Amino acid sequence: MATLKGFVKFNDDSYLLDVSESERDVLINLSGQLIEILAERVDAAQSDPLAKMIGITGHDSPPDDEVLLRLLPNAYADPVDASEFRRYTESDLRTKKAQHAMQVRSQLMEMENGTILLDSEGALAWLGAINDIRLALGVRLKVDENSHERLELLSTEDPMHAVFAVYSWLGWLQESLVLALMEDFEQDGESSES
Amino acid sequence: MAQSEGKIEELTDPLFFVDRPWVTIVWDDPVNLMSYVTYVFMSLFNYSKERATELMLLVHNEGRAVVSSGRREEMERDVARLHEFGLWATLARDDH
Repeated sequence: MATLKGFVKFNDDSYLLDVSESERDVLINLSGQLIEILAERVDAAQSDPLAKMIGITGHDSPPDDEVLLRLLPNAYADPVDASEFRRYTESDLRTKKAQHAMQVRSQLMEMENGTILLDSEGALAWLGAINDIRLALGVRLKVDENSHERLELLSTEDPMHAVFAVYSWLGWLQESLVLALMEDFEQDGESSES
Repeated sequence: MAQSEGKIEELTDPLFFVDRPWVTIVWDDPVNLMSYVTYVFMSLFNYSKERATELMLLVHNEGRAVVSSGRREEMERDVARLHEFGLWATLARDDH
């Protein structure tokens, strides 16, 4: 019997994830870390109800942490415009990313018999969360255009060796979800833009 | 500054982006998968697979591409959506 692995398109607008117990544990752990790191960046204006009411969350400077900076990047090259945009939007972006990760985590915790069935909306949350985890790991692994060989050759004793293995697996997992989601576009065919 | 504006100009499709003062730019990123970037363009902008692939390759090969243009508020919304999906995007005035 062929074993289902990663994501497959299951039905109209539904997607099935098949993960092993150890893969599940890795995903629970990493989505938990993502939630934690996003939570480190608490709203600076939490204590100021007026500022909160008008949508100002206080942070107008980019995060110092490299991972947070990659997850919450500047929207403008100009620092003044970037600050202004960040002040009004960063909290929302952070919340959405945390929600994606929390959905992934709770579905994994509640998972029974090794599979999770997702609708389109759920699949997008998974897609976003897997990507955020890969971005975070990519920063930690210092991934750049030429790093693949360096990372492939890491000694098995190097703690980054295992991190790179997980990063590569997540790339494969994400690809399987993208391909499953792409099938919908191909079926819809010419209905959208031609 | 003048040099970078010249590059943006080259990457802008003149027929597609007429009289529109702001542009959304996506920058190359070593982590995001090519298939994923293509999918995000299709899904957020309703682009055909061909157009989305073309833009993804521009980002990959040139280091960046203009992916949408319009009013500033619209571009801010596009950038926010792209950030939600982890793409590295900025907006800028198109001085073309």
